Amino acid sequence: MSWRASAARALPHLVIWPPILVSCGYVLVFSAWTVWVSFTPSTLMPDYGWAGWRNYSSMLASRNWHIAYTNLFIYGPCFVVFTMATGLLLAVLIDQRIRGENIYRAVFLYPLAVSFVVTGTVWGWLLNPTIGIQKLVHDLGWTSFRFEWLIDRDMAIYTVVIAGVWQASGFAMALLLAGLRSVDADLLKAAQIDGAGPVRIYLRVVFPTIGPIFVAVLVMLLQFAIKTYDLVVALTAGGPGLASTLPTVVVYDFMFQRSELARGSAAAVMLLGSLAFVLVPYGLYRKWQQRKARAHA
Amino acid sequence: MSVVARRTLLAGSAAILVMPGISRAQGAKPKVTVISQWSAGPSAAAMVALGNEFERQGGVWEHDPVPGFTTEMMNKLRAQIIAGDPPAASQLKGPEIAAWSKIAPVVDLDPMVKEAGYEALVPEELVRLSKPHGHWVALPIQAYRINTLFVSKKAADRIGLTKLPATWAEFNAAAEKMKAEGITPVANGGIKWDDGMKWEIALCGISLEAYRKAVMELDEKTLSGPEVLAAFRQFRKLVDWSDPGVAGQDYTPFAARFIKGEMGMLLMGDWAAGLYKRGGFQLSDYIVGQAPADDGKIAFDLNSDEFIFWQNKQPEFQEGQQLLAKIVMSKELGPLFCQITGSIPVRTDTDLSAAGFNDQQREASRSMGEAKKDNRIVLSLAHNMAQTNQVTAAMIDVLTEFAHDNRISPEEGQKRLVDAVDNVR
Repeated sequence: MSWRASAARALPHLVIWPPILVSCGYVLVFSAWTVWVSFTPSTLMPDYGWAGWRNYSSMLASRNWHIAYTNLFIYGPCFVVFTMATGLLLAVLIDQRIRGENIYRAVFLYPLAVSFVVTGTVWGWLLNPTIGIQKLVHDLGWTSFRFEWLIDRDMAIYTVVIAGVWQASGFAMALLLAGLRSVDADLLKAAQIDGAGPVRIYLRVVFPTIGPIFVAVLVMLLQFAIKTYDLVVALTAGGPGLASTLPTVVVYDFMFQRSELARGSAAAVMLLGSLAFVLVPYGLYRKWQQRKARAHA
Repeated sequence: MSVVARRTLLAGSAAILVMPGISRAQGAKPKVTVISQWSAGPSAAAMVALGNEFERQGGVWEHDPVPGFTTEMMNKLRAQIIAGDPPAASQLKGPEIAAWSKIAPVVDLDPMVKEAGYEALVPEELVRLSKPHGHWVALPIQAYRINTLFVSKKAADRIGLTKLPATWAEFNAAAEKMKAEGITPVANGGIKWDDGMKWEIALCGISLEAYRKAVMELDEKTLSGPEVLAAFRQFRKLVDWSDPGVAGQDYTPFAARFIKGEMGMLLMGDWAAGLYKRGGFQLSDYIVGQAPADDGKIAFDLNSDEFIFWQNKQPEFQEGQQLLAKIVMSKELGPLFCQITGSIPVRTDTDLSAAGFNDQQREASRSMGEAKKDNRIVLSLAHNMAQTNQVTAAMIDVLTEFAHDNRISPEEGQKRLVDAVDNVR
């Protein structure tokens, strides 16, 4: 074998393996380290004694963690459902071969290019009753208008949903639009010939065909939701009081604000666990799909 | 290229290679690396001034600011300590000095402090924080009074107020009048530390002794006693008099409305004056002084920044630390540093008559001196002076929840505070 041929064979390995090893090392080593720290009595600095499950039980019993998880259960589903719905609506509208499609697409996708901190700050101003939307409506003459979610401890978490949906629906739109466009034109024609109207075509032909894309978007949005940190910090600072705290905020708060490395790590490990709740079923679903496809073929 | 030229070139490069050796042989200049959170504004300018003074006295100054909160700075410090390369000095405050000085070797400053006769000149509370295990390891550089009351001149004129309310009763009466005039009485923000600070100032004014026992000593009986309950009641009033959209807001965006007289009174550390100054406002735009104290005496709720010195084996750094410590302890530090930041010099013998200081600084400094004599100084909770971050955060969580949920009664709030302290004690 010439050296050229063996180089050609080695090249893909040379290109692929270093990044894989580096990222695996990066993710796995630090995850393992965090898990380890979560079982130690570390506070200000890592301290490699053994503390058992103490950090976990104290985190699970803490008020901050309860509030944070309750909020995650409100915020996660709301964020995913509304983002998917808005994204789908936009995608279907743009799919109508309208003029200036590229402009709309860019406009709707643009929020994704904005940092969460900017989104949070701007929405914080808009939603603040004394300077934002409520004041605008009052100045226009409708003085009994009330929109005070930002300062209402029961509703504050929904302002995070609003800002999150604004930010992410363009992303959902882009993926779903690509899906819509990938549907076989022959299928659509056949449906048209069978006399199906546009609504029926979308509901019975297009959406079922792009089912896997829905699942992919769902999974991506869910892990977005679980990881949300900067948005809530910029928008509500976790407030009023602690009312809109999310698990990520608690992790940061314990690790760095309070210098409780071990408890913060325990919280981080539990957060990783919740990500696994989303990703493991998704992995199984993919496997199942592949097997089904193979069976069909 | 001729042979001669090449030889010259070689000689030249050899000389360059040798040069660092030469300068080391002559004795390197004293050097320090400092990390702090002061990356912008007056604080950064003050650090530049300190650096210039350090270089004027023959040192090499390297300041490495970490923008953001103190915690960001502490993360960098933590990383550097783990890496075995701590800076020569870093900003640190309160009981964190004791906690951090246990995790890495610190410089024993005792001989220098003794030589400068420094210990008698600063408040005992700061001495205690700076020598956590019996030795000086940190030096305070500036102080602030937390219990400071600012009253908008325009708002005061509208209700006929000519001097600061001296007690909470007077304060509350003034606030009611302002409210009746359509003025938002309290100009504070609504984020965690601001909430903690309002409660803290309330308790300081109700009873300094109770504050000392409840907050600094975490005495359970005082925590569940009548003074703390009264502080919760006053705290509720302060929150109710704030802007309705205050949740998540800093106090800074309210500055313009405060000066215009749309908002009445601000309870804030005296750094707020720096904000007004930068906003182009004058001292005549507001009345400022000590926050209400029901016993009519001086009360001083202290916040202070310090430098902690980390051990370094290299002689040039050790000399640099000596030089920095000398400058920080000198009488000149006040005029050099505090004139720029608007803070109070920690040396109670500093002369504040120079034009660079203003009346507010003079008043606060005089107050600190008198409070030192009468043992009327306490340490701030919300600014991490009274307790470690762990205890502080647990207490502030209760206070901020109380502030933003008026379904929690003062009695219930007090109970939650006692529970929270029990859990972290």
